[in-house]
Amino acid sequence: MARKIVVDPVTRIEGHLRIEAMLDDGGKIKDAMSTGTMWRGIEVILKGRDPRDAWAFCERICGVCTTVHALASVRAVENALGIRVPPNADVIRNIMFLTQMVQDHVVHFYHLHALDWVDIVSALKADPAGTEALAKKVSPKWPKSSEGYFRDVQNKLKKFVESGQLGLFQNAYWGHPAYKLPAEANLMAVSHYLEALAWQKELVKIHTVFGGKNPHPNYLVGGMASALNIEGDNAINMERLNLVKSKIEEAFSIVEDMYIPDLLAVASFYLDWASIGGGLGNYMSYGDVPQRGIGDPKGYLFPRGVILNKNLGEVMDVDPADASQIQEEISHSWYKYPNGSQGLHPWDGVTEPNYTGPKPPYTELDETKAYSWLKAPRWKGHSMEVGPLARVLIGYASGRAEFKEVVNEALGRLKAPPAALFSTLGRTAARGLETKLCIHWLLQEYEHLITNLKTGDSNTADNRKWDPSTWPADCKGYGFTEAPRGALCHWIHIKDSKIENYQAVVPSTWNASPRDAKGQLGAYESALIGTPMADPSRPIELLRTIHSFDPCLACASHVFGPDGESLAEVIVR
Amino acid sequence: MTAGSVDRPPILVLGLGNQLLGDDGAGLRLLELLEAGQGRAANVESLGGGTPAVEFIDGGTQGLALLGTIENRQGLLILDAVGSGSAGEVHSLDARDLAALRARRASTAHEGNALELLEAATLLGVAPARTVVVGITPAMLKTGIGLSPPVEAALPEALRQAGLALQSLISSLTA
Repeated sequence: MARKIVVDPVTRIEGHLRIEAMLDDGGKIKDAMSTGTMWRGIEVILKGRDPRDAWAFCERICGVCTTVHALASVRAVENALGIRVPPNADVIRNIMFLTQMVQDHVVHFYHLHALDWVDIVSALKADPAGTEALAKKVSPKWPKSSEGYFRDVQNKLKKFVESGQLGLFQNAYWGHPAYKLPAEANLMAVSHYLEALAWQKELVKIHTVFGGKNPHPNYLVGGMASALNIEGDNAINMERLNLVKSKIEEAFSIVEDMYIPDLLAVASFYLDWASIGGGLGNYMSYGDVPQRGIGDPKGYLFPRGVILNKNLGEVMDVDPADASQIQEEISHSWYKYPNGSQGLHPWDGVTEPNYTGPKPPYTELDETKAYSWLKAPRWKGHSMEVGPLARVLIGYASGRAEFKEVVNEALGRLKAPPAALFSTLGRTAARGLETKLCIHWLLQEYEHLITNLKTGDSNTADNRKWDPSTWPADCKGYGFTEAPRGALCHWIHIKDSKIENYQAVVPSTWNASPRDAKGQLGAYESALIGTPMADPSRPIELLRTIHSFDPCLACASHVFGPDGESLAEVIVR
Repeated sequence: MTAGSVDRPPILVLGLGNQLLGDDGAGLRLLELLEAGQGRAANVESLGGGTPAVEFIDGGTQGLALLGTIENRQGLLILDAVGSGSAGEVHSLDARDLAALRARRASTAHEGNALELLEAATLLGVAPARTVVVGITPAMLKTGIGLSPPVEAALPEALRQAGLALQSLISSLTA
């Protein structure tokens, strides 16, 4: 008899996500439903406001990706008003963007996703001498690999566990048979978990240098508000820039000498996951990291494009401004549109909630009706996966040498064919591989900035269109970026100097999308199908695939304490 | 660079929450009021050398990224919405209450949580010497700017308790 698993909420993610999965007789997932259980609706708050202030509100949409929403927002307003920002503004934005990407991916790997693969508690049984031998083999360049160091970490962990408060490690299925790493490898991973934790707070200091305040950096329509002056006392001077450079160098070592070696070592124990969790096979990226202005997509370091049906032989173009390409449907969402359920391009988007689901707390949702607070965005009618795997595949299929090099090297090390990329493991690996690209680009962008400053160009903003009297009475724009979790775009309609309409389609709306009118599944739903479950009451396999997307449901509701958070309830029927 | 550089104020008042979600912004509103009222007075009693005793930071809903902000402070006062009790109830939680909360908690739904932030700091050995939380139980967590009437009405009492907590952190500094 078929059984059903409900995981609500999915933990170790940002926001609220509910997954219902149906199992077949063999214990594999045969159908799944992904439900965003919380309504956001930033769009409603922005109506009628000054477009130049929108970024500051958008920055608060999400607790994790603050900079990316601010970036998409200023780009949308600049696109609407026809502003081209000066080169230094693009370079600084790229530095902020790449810093966010590197920090977010490392934190995801060690602090949110690794616990799906690494049994922290088993690290207590490791022989630190064995861990030393392993570490010297896996990551020979990483300095901290002595037996004594690993023994210290083990003692620290022991103390933590003995205090009865597992805290950060509380929420996993320790001892589950799906964990494959030897105890010594688990101890190494725990040590690097701590290293990454201590390091990530240092990297974000780059945001403070350029964005002024932490943790909510300043953006500006028309450029960046950072005052640059190599020799000045109060501006961003050489001393501040040297701090940036030292943070980039630390990040280099973390990524190249620790993260990538760990990723490949862990992956080698889980190669069965290279054929699980592939899902849709449709991938989309808007592209980012402009080298010749945002108006020239050919100059992006992350290329833009769409891949359909895993066909790496063809990369199609994507245009966020084309109403026939991107539409949001609501046939399975708790919203209503004035003219029925026909999909709408975000410029014409409507955010009117219409909850028709069962009264909470409910036990199950009906996939034939509306079942999510997320709309269903589609590209030319297709469901899309966005995020690291999409970006890496599009870079690879576009023939970009840097992408081919990192992908081929990793596949070679794991002795895996390119088809292995279409999987849960492929998604997790792609996140690491693009981090490697990003850290190189970060250094490159830093050097661009220094070169510009040395040639006397310290201009960071174009304020000729700051005054609303210079604006057209009615205009529309869009601003996109590639957030750590994938393609993000904001669409704005400005009328009489005020926001007439604002719509944001965030990466997790693509990935966590419900079904559409044609019954096509969203990316999470599709990726779960075929996943084997050893013990449905401890659904670690389901979590591996969902976490491989790095879900961010971004409600960013943030109540202190235990009662505001429902328990991660797993129900098996 | 070591954590807790000498030129940083030893006490941090950290407002948490999302002001786009109704009462989830209660902590940030408290931060604003406390800084306007007590901030100046508190910083008059600055330590020798002109470093103010107290820093006020709007942490939004950032999670682990705030680790560098709280590490090695001598005193930490968190202002936040508190998810227990009845709407508009004011809470002051000390170290013992926080430990009890951690033990009761089975799991959390999101990473951007103050408890996890404190746990991460503890794990790394950089937790503030004293941490106090003052907060208000929300009545309404829906998209929109502004507090609900019960939470608005609780502000004076919450502000009073936050002020006492801050004074206590300052006096343990000089003691």
